[in-house]
Amino acid sequence: MTVPALALAPRAPRRSAALSWRRLVRSPNLLVGFAVLVLVVGCAGFARELAPYSPIDQVFTDQLKPPSAAHLFGTDEFGRDIFSRCLYGARIALVVGVIADGIAMLLGVVLGTVAGYFGGRADAAVMRVVDVMLAFPYLLLAMIVVAILGPSLTNAMIAIGIVYTPQFARVVRGAVLAIREQEFVEAAGAVGARAPRILARHVLPNVLSPIIVMATLTVGFTIVETAGLSFLGLGASPPTPEWGSMLATGRSYMLTAPWIATFPGLSILVTVVGFNLVGDGLRDLLDPRLRGRGF
Amino acid sequence: MTQAIRRRWVSLVVAAALVPVGISAVGQAQAQAPKTLVIAIGADQTGLDPQTVENNESGFIMSTIFDSIVNYKPGSSIVGPGLAQSWTISPDGRTYTFKLRPGVTFHDGTPMNAHTVAEDVDRAINPNNPCYVLGRKGVDTYDDFTFGSAKDGTVAKMDVVDDSTLRFTLPKPNAPFITSLAMVWQGIMSPAATKQYNCDASQHPVGTGPFKFVEAVRNDHVTVDANAGYWGGRPKVDRIIFQVVPESATRMLQLERNQVQILADVPPSDYARVRGNPQLKLYTQPGLTILGVSMSNDLGPFKDVRVRQAMNYAVDKDAINKGLYGGATTASQGVPPVLWGFNKAVTPYPYDPAKAKQLLAEAGFPNGFTTDMMVYANPRGYNPIGGAKLGEAVQGYLAKVGVTVKITQYEWGAYLDKIRHTQWEGMAISGWSGDNGDPDNFLGDLFEWDEAAGKARTNNNSRHHNPAFDRLIVQARQVTDQAKRAQLYEQANKILHDDAPWIFINYTNQVRATRANVRGFLLNPLQMFFHMELVSLQ
Repeated sequence: MTVPALALAPRAPRRSAALSWRRLVRSPNLLVGFAVLVLVVGCAGFARELAPYSPIDQVFTDQLKPPSAAHLFGTDEFGRDIFSRCLYGARIALVVGVIADGIAMLLGVVLGTVAGYFGGRADAAVMRVVDVMLAFPYLLLAMIVVAILGPSLTNAMIAIGIVYTPQFARVVRGAVLAIREQEFVEAAGAVGARAPRILARHVLPNVLSPIIVMATLTVGFTIVETAGLSFLGLGASPPTPEWGSMLATGRSYMLTAPWIATFPGLSILVTVVGFNLVGDGLRDLLDPRLRGRGF
Repeated sequence: MTQAIRRRWVSLVVAAALVPVGISAVGQAQAQAPKTLVIAIGADQTGLDPQTVENNESGFIMSTIFDSIVNYKPGSSIVGPGLAQSWTISPDGRTYTFKLRPGVTFHDGTPMNAHTVAEDVDRAINPNNPCYVLGRKGVDTYDDFTFGSAKDGTVAKMDVVDDSTLRFTLPKPNAPFITSLAMVWQGIMSPAATKQYNCDASQHPVGTGPFKFVEAVRNDHVTVDANAGYWGGRPKVDRIIFQVVPESATRMLQLERNQVQILADVPPSDYARVRGNPQLKLYTQPGLTILGVSMSNDLGPFKDVRVRQAMNYAVDKDAINKGLYGGATTASQGVPPVLWGFNKAVTPYPYDPAKAKQLLAEAGFPNGFTTDMMVYANPRGYNPIGGAKLGEAVQGYLAKVGVTVKITQYEWGAYLDKIRHTQWEGMAISGWSGDNGDPDNFLGDLFEWDEAAGKARTNNNSRHHNPAFDRLIVQARQVTDQAKRAQLYEQANKILHDDAPWIFINYTNQVRATRANVRGFLLNPLQMFFHMELVSLQ
């Protein structure tokens, strides 16, 4: 063959059409989810301006007040304003959710790419570890990690990040396996490009869409799991206004002051639904093949 | 017919045959209508052999199955007759002679007399006994607390004088001995049962008490049936079921629906709910308890007594006790006011943040400091809202005088290990429920320095060390006259207040709830379900 090899190695195909504004607007899931996220991010960003009270000041004379004009969501057993605590809680939930998700994504992409691209022993080793991790219930695995690192919000984020790594690794490996066999990758190798370059220029850009979809969908889960850890006393330490720990303390007042647990619970619900709607919408847009496949 | 179909047919026939049996069983039950009392407890028992457990839930159940040599009188922590009808104490306070009740048998038919009681107590004091409790691994026991231990030569000597007379001789006078004997942890087990179950009858308990053990289903329930021949009179209910219900809200709903008749624990947030319901009754009694925040007396800023006093001034204990504890009594010293030895002249540190700041400045911390606090989540008898909530409330107040507190929560087992066995620095939620109704059980256990061992006693987790205080505690143990002992304890309490080893928070009330038709129920300061033979259902 005399055809220059370079010509056979096209740049990574762009999916500009997939992200067109028109398609975006036509997806109601995406729009609603996006609106919810804007609201949550707004609450988090402007918590200081929006909150009528300090989230941590205890006022025993205002104890266990039901929702009213003065206290929109009522007060807890320490007389703290639950509305203010929910607003500040959004900040923590977002930061924690996104960072934990980021950790999972970073680790998962590295492991998945190594396994998928290099195959052989590396693949076998990585994927067996991943299988073992997947065999554990998420929360149990996270609790083990926190037990080793010590209970704190930072360690909870790390724990959740580690727990969700296998899922990213699996998805990325699968995508990389498919891309690896494509002619343009083969061609790049034929013209002498080394593995790092091939991965960075040809493989990763092509597996980006499943990663984005996965990342968006997982944020919801990481928020719930971190709240779960805090609920068990393994995450945020008091008086941090964290939704999970608010739920935990509110639990003992379910019969007498249900608003203490209800509003942080609703906050978690709304945020997670927001992320999931956006994730679903993005999946439909970017990667129709993944449709209907639950994580 | 294939094998599978045939099997199905067989099972159908068997089931049909069983139906009439089931119906007749139901019919019988309705005819007799046994009076069953259900008591909801928050956690399962860990064993029902009195000498080998220390856990409250085990105690609740054992207090219906066992008698001790002496028992607490109904509704009090005063010692009265038990298996012994009467007793004498020698003038030097070292010899205790008990006259045992005639004609009593254990639930398994073994006669109760000086020989059988001695055989059971022998496990507590004789290292050569094959079932020696203190030599066993993995058991919690009050045996050395009550009888002393053979290891350090403080153990009591026991003699069977005759069939109905039992004598204990102590190496030195120990006034709390008689009250300790009455504890549920010194209930007398049938020696035949101990033998039958190879030293461990903890899941097959056999006592002499008002109720006989029937069955225990792990994490579900324990059933005991009335002992018709009980020496104290036949119980007025036929059966008691201790139902394990971990969630407090669930327990409350079950009480409201009459699925249970007594709640062993009621969180303060539910007091109003019970009071507002005419079908229910709330029982409260000043508790034989103390609750506070322990400070590391020998490490960090807390080495300075002024800092420890400042912490006591900085926290609004009255607000916390009213707001979170449903009105507990604010603490001022090492024993609750229901116990003799309480010093009435000593009053709680008032809430005075300015004074706290001034003391901190004098101690060299004008801008405050940062410290750690260890907490646990679960409620305790002396702390019905759990350690984490109290920690959070205290943290809020200390922040106002410039002290930043970082809270770490531990699981209960890990927590105990941490505060008892490590040189921790900072603060930790501490509390105590009285074991035997003697002030020594508070002041000695919680605040005494063991001079012989050169370290704090196990539960003196703040590592409080004041020789003047220790001298009074030792002295009070050697006198038998209660009035004299009370005086010594009052002096010790004054010293303790000034030393401020803890932030003294409160003496929690003991609170239980029942259906209104439960009659004859009496709270006991020791929290156990003593004298349940007196309880009836109307």
